[in-house]
Amino acid sequence: MLRNYFKIAIAVLKRRKFFTFISLFGISFTLTILMVATAYIDKLVNDPYPDAKRDRSLYVNKLEQKMKDGRQSGPLSFYFLDHYAGSLKIPAKVAISSMSRATNTYVNNKKIVINYKYVNSDYWDVLEYDFVEGKPFSKQQIANGEHVTVISEDTKKEYFGETGSVVGKYIEADNVKYRINGVVKNVPVTAYQFFADIYLPYTVSKTDYKDKAYHGEYIAILLAKNEADVPAMRKEYEQMISKVPLPNKDITKMYSHANSYLVSYVNVGSEDTSGIAYVITAIGLFALLVMLLPTLNLVNINITRIMERSSEIGVRKAFGASSRTLVYQFIVENLILTLIGGLIGVLLTFIVIRVLNNAQLIDNLYLTINFTVLLYALAICVFFGLFSGVYPAWRMSKLNVVTALRQNN
Amino acid sequence: MFKHLLKLIWNKKKQNFLLISEILFSFMVIFAVFTFGIYCWDNYKQPMGMEYENVLAVNFTNPVKTTNADSLRLFYETVKRNLKSLPEVDEVSYASVNIPFSESTINNSMDINGKNIRQINEFSGEDSYPGVVNLKMAEGRWYNKQDGLPGTRNMVINRALKEKAFGDVPVVGKFLGDPAKPSERFKIIGVIENIKFNGDYQSPALAIYKRMDTAGYKWVSNMLIKVRPSADAAFESRLYKTLANSLNNANVEIEHLANKRISINKMTLVPMIILSIVAGFLIINVALGLFGVLWYNINKRRGEIGLRRALGATGNGVSSQIVWEAMILATFSMIIGSFFAVQFPLLNVFDLPAMVYIIALLASVLFIYALVLVCSLYPGRQAAAIYPAVALHEE
Repeated sequence: MLRNYFKIAIAVLKRRKFFTFISLFGISFTLTILMVATAYIDKLVNDPYPDAKRDRSLYVNKLEQKMKDGRQSGPLSFYFLDHYAGSLKIPAKVAISSMSRATNTYVNNKKIVINYKYVNSDYWDVLEYDFVEGKPFSKQQIANGEHVTVISEDTKKEYFGETGSVVGKYIEADNVKYRINGVVKNVPVTAYQFFADIYLPYTVSKTDYKDKAYHGEYIAILLAKNEADVPAMRKEYEQMISKVPLPNKDITKMYSHANSYLVSYVNVGSEDTSGIAYVITAIGLFALLVMLLPTLNLVNINITRIMERSSEIGVRKAFGASSRTLVYQFIVENLILTLIGGLIGVLLTFIVIRVLNNAQLIDNLYLTINFTVLLYALAICVFFGLFSGVYPAWRMSKLNVVTALRQNN
Repeated sequence: MFKHLLKLIWNKKKQNFLLISEILFSFMVIFAVFTFGIYCWDNYKQPMGMEYENVLAVNFTNPVKTTNADSLRLFYETVKRNLKSLPEVDEVSYASVNIPFSESTINNSMDINGKNIRQINEFSGEDSYPGVVNLKMAEGRWYNKQDGLPGTRNMVINRALKEKAFGDVPVVGKFLGDPAKPSERFKIIGVIENIKFNGDYQSPALAIYKRMDTAGYKWVSNMLIKVRPSADAAFESRLYKTLANSLNNANVEIEHLANKRISINKMTLVPMIILSIVAGFLIINVALGLFGVLWYNINKRRGEIGLRRALGATGNGVSSQIVWEAMILATFSMIIGSFFAVQFPLLNVFDLPAMVYIIALLASVLFIYALVLVCSLYPGRQAAAIYPAVALHEE
């Protein structure tokens, strides 16, 4: 049965090439836009490098202090994370790092912008950076306040040019010389919680890391021993926050959450307005808008095509085919059409992604089509096929046999 | 004739309903793109209001621990003197964190002239600030040493805020702030020309400019430096050393205001380009669909058209009939579309000037008419080419 439908569908597609072209163009182009967008979002929120243990991690990157007439919200201090989050029982490790900031260095009268990040020793255990050479700095080196650093491949290339190993050499940043302990693979700037050009021990930070203010420029990752501990870890963090003494009498309440990666990544909104709902609404609206017009177009063309086939439908009805069979057939045909369009769309997406990756609009951001993205594409195709097929099919099933047979042009 | 065409359209209302909704959505998409585009273009034409070439922006982590007002001022005066001793440096001013093109904002609301005005950007700068970015006074004067005397409560505002609060009248000597609260009341001493501090494509927002005071020095983390055109990377490296040595224990970054302008412009341009590409493809899609459906309709109506020709309608008459039918459909869509579009200026949804919406609306109407015309011309010509004898014979 399905094979027959398939044959008919192909025959119909061949009959009116112009309409086929319009349908396929609409489907494949829409799919390309949505797939590139999906690949981009997937890269932002699902990239396993360097954050491979995401399943058992929770992220803390905001503290909100509520006052009588306003609020202050931002990253936390090293003291706060080390003292309070560090004393929690469940987390096996607590990686603490500063938000990356930029500074300059000058080599041979050429300016290099360097983004630096202060980290603790757990940071290297929680995150799995690929070391091209060397190794991370140790707990002891951090405790001693040694001027050591881990740099990114890009920084190595820019600062030293194409050379061999640079471990043991010195790099100057912010007017201080640091000895290089290791070189890691690049992280795109979009992974802003992990991105930096050079990683430094927090003990060499120029701002006082012992300062007891709650706000600062540090964020943390809490790592549980296994996935099952994550809800308990979240709860423990919430309980700890409710017990932290308020810093002064102006502040009426303090909020801070240990969130999943996605929620922490979005990091907009405040305690009263959810950021994630806002982002999902925006993405949903965009997708709807992009899909609405091609769908309407497809419905239009499908109806035109069905009317064209009225004599065929008339004959089949006259020989006893039920409306249901016809609707079913038409929807299957339409699904075949959308899937062909989808296939072209996937090919186009490959080309677009290749072009985008070559253009390097965002440094070190390489989009890929993976299984998840393809799955989304398939879902979009099916949605498309059903949505644009149902109404025309219903119109078709309502055709009167006599009139259908009479119009034989 | 219109009555007749309307009747023809009404007879096929089901099919035409879909066409109308398709044109309606295209119209809305085009309206959105045009509104955005015209808004950006409108802003682009306005003068920048400042000079960004050869201005360096420095940001540093605040290195001072003391809260003593005098030692704070002394410290920053020393840093400034060290910088000015470099021959390439023309002028230096400390500034609040929201330097031009920086993406950081400090917003406030204020009672001015009996109105509560929200979203006022608050900038701080020193007496030397106008010299650094070359801003122009529209009225009155910028700050000088006298404004630092205790008890002086002066303020400089920009032209946009003046026009919003007072209209087009001289305002120097008038007051800002709620009269009931003397601690929040300031005397206007000057109005500066608008600065597009959010980049070329954003409208100049409302702004007040404060003179940097002790509280300002306590949190200061930015400065702007005007340098000679001869300043090169070697100079920058020297400047960096000077800064790093005088701001002991601070992390320092130097940026060029001109580069910051380029990157903040991208924040507007990139969405604009993506939106245009997507909208462009959608429109091609719709145009092809429209063309296909009209073309198919002609083939279905061969009998009717043959009859018209046989009864004496000219080829041009028939083809213009097809075009007119499409145009009437488009008009219906756009009447509905305009109803929605007009809500934007009426409800003031995005706080854009009404003029932008009106121009965008007119431009979208013209665009859709042109699109429909192009799509219906060829089917119309085809209809004109139908021979009555052949068409009627088929029937």
